[in-house]
Amino acid sequence: MFDKRLFRPRERVSPEQRKWVSLRGAINEAMREEMRRDPTVFQMGQDIAKAPPFGVTAGLLEEFGSERIRDAPCSEVAMVGAAVGAALGGMRPIVEFQFGDFVSVAIDQITHQAAMLRYLTGGQVNVPIVIRLPCGGGQGAGAQHSQSLYSWFGHAPGIKVALPSTAADAKGLMKMAIRDPNPVLFFEHKALYRTRWPVPPEYRDPDFLVPFGQAAVRRAGTDVSVVATMAMVHHALAAAEELAAEDISLEVIDLRTLVPLDAETIVRSVLQTGRIIVVDEAYLSCSIQSEVIALVGERAFQALKAAPRRLGNPGVPVPFAPQLEDAVLPNQQQIVVAVREVVGRQGK
Amino acid sequence: MEAMDANKKLPMLRQMLLVRRLEDEWGEAYCREDIGGIPPALSTGQEAVSVGACAALGPGDFVFTTHRGQAPQIALGLDVKRIMAELYCRRTGYNKGKSYHITDFSRGVVGMGGIIGAQVPVAAGMALAQKLKGSDRVSLCFFGDGASNEGAVHEAANLAAIWTLPLILLCENNEYCISLPVRAAVKVVNIADRAAGYGLPGVVVDGNDVLAVYEAVISAVARARSGGGATWIEAKTYRLGGHLVHDPQYYRSKDEIAARWEHCPIKRYRAQLVAEGLLTEEKFAQLEAEVAQEVAAAVEFARQSPFPAPEEAFEDLWA
Repeated sequence: MFDKRLFRPRERVSPEQRKWVSLRGAINEAMREEMRRDPTVFQMGQDIAKAPPFGVTAGLLEEFGSERIRDAPCSEVAMVGAAVGAALGGMRPIVEFQFGDFVSVAIDQITHQAAMLRYLTGGQVNVPIVIRLPCGGGQGAGAQHSQSLYSWFGHAPGIKVALPSTAADAKGLMKMAIRDPNPVLFFEHKALYRTRWPVPPEYRDPDFLVPFGQAAVRRAGTDVSVVATMAMVHHALAAAEELAAEDISLEVIDLRTLVPLDAETIVRSVLQTGRIIVVDEAYLSCSIQSEVIALVGERAFQALKAAPRRLGNPGVPVPFAPQLEDAVLPNQQQIVVAVREVVGRQGK
Repeated sequence: MEAMDANKKLPMLRQMLLVRRLEDEWGEAYCREDIGGIPPALSTGQEAVSVGACAALGPGDFVFTTHRGQAPQIALGLDVKRIMAELYCRRTGYNKGKSYHITDFSRGVVGMGGIIGAQVPVAAGMALAQKLKGSDRVSLCFFGDGASNEGAVHEAANLAAIWTLPLILLCENNEYCISLPVRAAVKVVNIADRAAGYGLPGVVVDGNDVLAVYEAVISAVARARSGGGATWIEAKTYRLGGHLVHDPQYYRSKDEIAARWEHCPIKRYRAQLVAEGLLTEEKFAQLEAEVAQEVAAAVEFARQSPFPAPEEAFEDLWA
């Protein structure tokens, strides 16, 4: 059902699926609605006005004009710093990084200025900014255009992090992010941009919001808890289908946000299944996978029937050639093998 | 060019005396170990830059400080008691003990300086907000000769130029970035020469002449308010103290420092006001006494104030 090949841009979309909402379309709708609702919302980014490479801001210039949809020069530090300052001045900026990997260029403005100003001033100011970061591999974009760097920001205090995996979540989380008085990093998996999704009726509500800090159980199950984000959620769901035929029942939990993290849903699941695998594209060492395992160890240790497992990029830059890239990023097969091992250790 | 009103000249001297006295007291408190932590960053010798600049601003304008933030804080009328309380780590301080880069957002003072140069893009963003809101308020950032080399500053200056932002980039060249003399850090003699490269007007001013600073900044403010965009001002001054108060300053000679004390901005301004007939020696002594009293009262307030409760370390992270 869900195969990595489905994410390739050339995949055909059925007439029925054309009625569904694309993930990037959902983000566009969220921003459009919030910009109509709130005149303080404006955007900065490279090429967002006339040539957004992933098309997420398409059409916004025509509706809102160039004062509110501002092309910025290649100055990530100034762009993010200006977002911080504009937020102090009462605006709600949305900043697009053309590739999320470029976040490293502006880290200080994010982790030291945006994230800390409220605290350092004893609560005198808020910094309501949203920074959008296209992330993820699987398209042969190379090491500096394929990363998933949210683990860095799970570590830094004062920043919220959203990781949507469906169109509905993308819209609801983006609207929530824009309305949030705190700084938010909004990661968007590039391979999911063009995927299309059916949406619930409430999706059309102008106040359709998805709260932060609430993971979603995408598939209920009894044998193994699989925690995943974004594209990996869909590989986990495909693995669940495959393993159902072997009478192994996976519970697939979509984190949806890294900060705040819904520890309760994860712990509740592990207390029931006794087994956990966390799968993400992030580099394994000191990753969000590690963080989830740590909290499970602290809070559900007595329920564990098997050692917890992490799946991710073992710790190399994402290579360009597809054969190399496929070897580095986790996939459905790796999840299936890991589940069998975790279940096999205790017998079934 | 708007010249300074005679009525405002004496208050500026008082402000400079207040900065000097508060900072001397803060430095002494550290040296006798009444307070600890990272040592005080004093702006001894640089008082005219902040006092002159802030005199040119109005209500609703914003200032972004460096790590030597006390001078603009005082120049913009912040409560000396609450400044001192923050320096003494009390919960009655402006930042409730969270940081000595004091902020009073209600007066438009945003304390930054933990990361040099980072305040400049943020100040540019505040200027952008004013422009987007259709307000005529301006944003002024202080930064030093050392910070002028930071990428953040180049990027922000260019952004201010292309977007015609109501920003005043006030480069306070005190000739040292900790131990590095500006001659070893910047190739050109006038850092303001870079302004033309960004497409901004660049102005060099004697930073130890408080009225000259005022005039330079008021021009820049007028340009910004009328939609004419940003100005880069380089105020030439000299850091008479160490980088931080405990700095033994092995990198420069005592003779050099002594020679520069002759050009102390307070000494110069006092002489100028006396020559203009606006100041007598009695009046000067009276001002010094008032200021000493005000600072002593601030120290007393700080000492009597409670420390923050440990639980407060976990407050104010999230809105």
